[in-house]
Amino acid sequence: MSITQQESGAGSSVEPHGKPRARFGTGRSEFVVVAVLYAVAIFLTIGTATMNVQGKSAPGPQFFPILVCIVLYLAATLLAIHILRTPNVPDNTIHPGHGQFSADMLHDLGHLGKEEDAAYEDAPSPTPGKTWKTYSDWRTVGLLVGGVVAFVLLLEPLGWIISAAALFWLVAYALGSRRPVFDIGVALLFSSIIQLAFGAALGLSLPSGLVGGIL
Amino acid sequence: MEQLELLMGGFASALTPINLLWVLIGALLGTAVGVVPGLGSAMAVALLLPVTFSLEPTAAFIMFAGVYFGGLFGDSTSGILLNTPGHSSAIASTFEGHRMAKSGQAAKALATCAIGAFIGGLIATTLVVFFAPTLVKMATVFGPAEYFALAVFAFLAISAVVSESVIRGVAALGIGLALALVGIDGPSGTARFTLGTPQLFDGISVIVITVGLLALGEVFHIASRIHRDPVATRIHTKGGARLGLADFRKALPAWLRGTAFGVPFGLIPAGGAEVPTFLAYGTEKQLAKRRNDPEFGTTGSIRGLAAPEAAANATAGTAMGALLALGLPVSATAAIMLAAFQQYGMQPGPLLFERSGDLVWTLLASLFIGLVILVMINIPFASVWAKLLSIPKHYLYAGITVFSMLGVYAVSSAILDLWLLIAIGLIGFLMRRYNIPLAPVLIAVILGPMAETELRRALAVSEGDLGILVDSPITITLYLVLAAALALSAVQHLRHRATRKA
Repeated sequence: MSITQQESGAGSSVEPHGKPRARFGTGRSEFVVVAVLYAVAIFLTIGTATMNVQGKSAPGPQFFPILVCIVLYLAATLLAIHILRTPNVPDNTIHPGHGQFSADMLHDLGHLGKEEDAAYEDAPSPTPGKTWKTYSDWRTVGLLVGGVVAFVLLLEPLGWIISAAALFWLVAYALGSRRPVFDIGVALLFSSIIQLAFGAALGLSLPSGLVGGIL
Repeated sequence: MEQLELLMGGFASALTPINLLWVLIGALLGTAVGVVPGLGSAMAVALLLPVTFSLEPTAAFIMFAGVYFGGLFGDSTSGILLNTPGHSSAIASTFEGHRMAKSGQAAKALATCAIGAFIGGLIATTLVVFFAPTLVKMATVFGPAEYFALAVFAFLAISAVVSESVIRGVAALGIGLALALVGIDGPSGTARFTLGTPQLFDGISVIVITVGLLALGEVFHIASRIHRDPVATRIHTKGGARLGLADFRKALPAWLRGTAFGVPFGLIPAGGAEVPTFLAYGTEKQLAKRRNDPEFGTTGSIRGLAAPEAAANATAGTAMGALLALGLPVSATAAIMLAAFQQYGMQPGPLLFERSGDLVWTLLASLFIGLVILVMINIPFASVWAKLLSIPKHYLYAGITVFSMLGVYAVSSAILDLWLLIAIGLIGFLMRRYNIPLAPVLIAVILGPMAETELRRALAVSEGDLGILVDSPITITLYLVLAAALALSAVQHLRHRATRKA
C-alpha cells in the first residue's frame, strides 16, 4: 500500500471486507463518473450544434467547444474501458491528494521505501472493525444534500438567520453531534453572528425573511 | 535598484495600521484554516474571496497575502501531531515530523516547520522582487501562440504528468473546460450553453465553482466517511514551539537545500509544492544515509522535516511571481488568486505591473509583512493553534457548509447560484470518491478562456494554418519539454506497474 491511491490489479480483486463473491457491479460504481462525463459531453454537443452563432470570425465560437467535446468523449470512453478491465475495490487508505499526485512519481522523487508506507499505515488503522455494504455512508450524505436543498428553498421565505441556523444544526446532527438541544443555541448564535458581521458591518445583503418582517 | 524603491513604496502603503490589521486577520484565518485537516489555503482563499468584496482591492489582496502563506504555516501541524497531513503538500513533512512528535519532540518539530516556512517564503519572495521585472520583459515577447502553448503545458502537466491516473486527470480537465465555456463568447457575442438564462450570460462564477468543488465537495466527502473512518490519536503539546541553537545550526542547511528545490517549481505548472517537497525529502534521506544519521526514520530527523517545509513555502513564494508577472497559475491556490484578481477587473500578467503597479508592490510588501507576522503568531502560540484540532468535526463542517452558502449568495444574491453550488459540490464529492484530481478542473476553469482566445487569435492571424502554433523557438521548446515530461511519466507508470505485478 502506498501513501496515496493504490489501485488493486485485476488479478487481485478480492474484496477486503464483505462477501468474496464479486458481482459485475462490484468495484465498478465509477461508471457514475462515466455517465456524468457523457452527459456533459452530450449537452455540449447539442449546444454546439444548435448554437445561434453571431458574427463571422474565422475560428468561430463553436471551434473550441468541439475540441472540449472530443476531450470529454475520449476521457469518458477510456475511463469506461479502464473500469471494465480493472474494477476498483473500495480501499480504506487515506488519500490526502484525492489522486492529485501520482504515487509512483512521489515514491521515486522522495526515495520512499517500505518505512514511509508503513509509518503512514500504522497510525490510524486503515481497517475498520465493522463492515458496510457500500463504501460511502449514503444516509449521512443524503441528509446533508437534503439539508442544503432545503436551505436553498427556504432561504428567501424564512430569512438567513433561521434557515442558516437550521442548516448548521442539521449538518452537525448528521455528522454525529449528540447534543441536539445545545446545538440549537450554537446554530442560532453562529447564524446571527454572521448576519451581524457580514450583513450589518460589511454590508452584504442577506435576506431577512420572517424575522425581518416581524421586527 | 528600481525594484527596491518600488518595494519601499509598497511597504509605505502596506504599513498603515488598517492594512496591518488586514494582514493580521489574513494570517490568523490562513493559519486556522491550514491547521484543520482537509482544508488547504486554496479553500481558505475560495471561502474568503466573496466576503472581501466589500473591501477595496488593496485591502483584500493584503489580506489574501496573509491567508496565502498562513495556510502553509498551519498545514504541517496536523501532520506532525495527528499523522494526517492537512494538505498534500504537507505529506513529505509528515514522515519525519510525526516521528519527532512521537519521540517527545513536538515543540521542536513545530518550530522547525514555522522557521522553515519563514525562510523558504522569505528567500522566494525576495527573488520574486528582484526578478519580477525580468519575467515581465520575458512575457512581453509572448504572442498568442506562446500563450496558448503555455496553457496547453499547464493543462497537460497538471492533468497527465503529475496526477495519479492520466485518464482521470484528463476527465477532470474536460469538466473544467466545459464549465468555463458557459456564457457569452467574447469575440463573437454568441451566447453559449446558457439555455437562454440571462443569469448565465456572464458564465458560471468562479466562486461558485471553487467553493463548490473545494468546500461543499469536501463536506459531502467527510459526511460519506465520518462514521466509518477511525479517529486519529493526537499527540498533545504544551507551551510554545522551541528550537535550541544547536538544532537551529543542524536544520539551517536543510532549510536552504529545501528552498533551492522549491524556488524553481513555483514557475512550473506542476500543481504546487508536492513535487519539490518530495524531492527535498528524498535528498535529505539520501544524505542521512551517507552520514549514518541514526535519527532519520527512527526518532525523527530535524533535517528531514526542515527541507520539505522550506520547499513548500519557497514554491508558494515564486508561484506568486509567476502569477503576477506571467499571469500563469501553477497550482490550485494560485488559480484562485488569479480569479480574485479577475473579480476586481485586473488581469495578472505584464500589463498588471504597468496599470496597477502600486497594488502589486503593496501586495509584495505585504507578503514580507505576512511572513513576519506568521512567525510571530506561530512560534509562541503553536500549542494554541493545535487546540483547533480538538474542535468537534461536526461543528467545523457545519460552519463550513453555512459559510460556503453565505459566500456564494453574498456575491450575486441569486438563488440559481446556490443550485449550481450544490450541483458542483456533488461533482466535487464524486471526484473525491473516485480519486479524480481537482486541480485540473480549477486550472482549466481559469486558463480555459485564455487558451481559447489565444488559440482563435493565433488561427485568425494565420488564416487557419495550424503551423503558427509551433512557429517560434519558445513554443517549440515548450512542446518538446512537455513531450519529454509525458514520456518520462509514462515510463515511470509502466515500471511501477511491472514491479507491482512481480
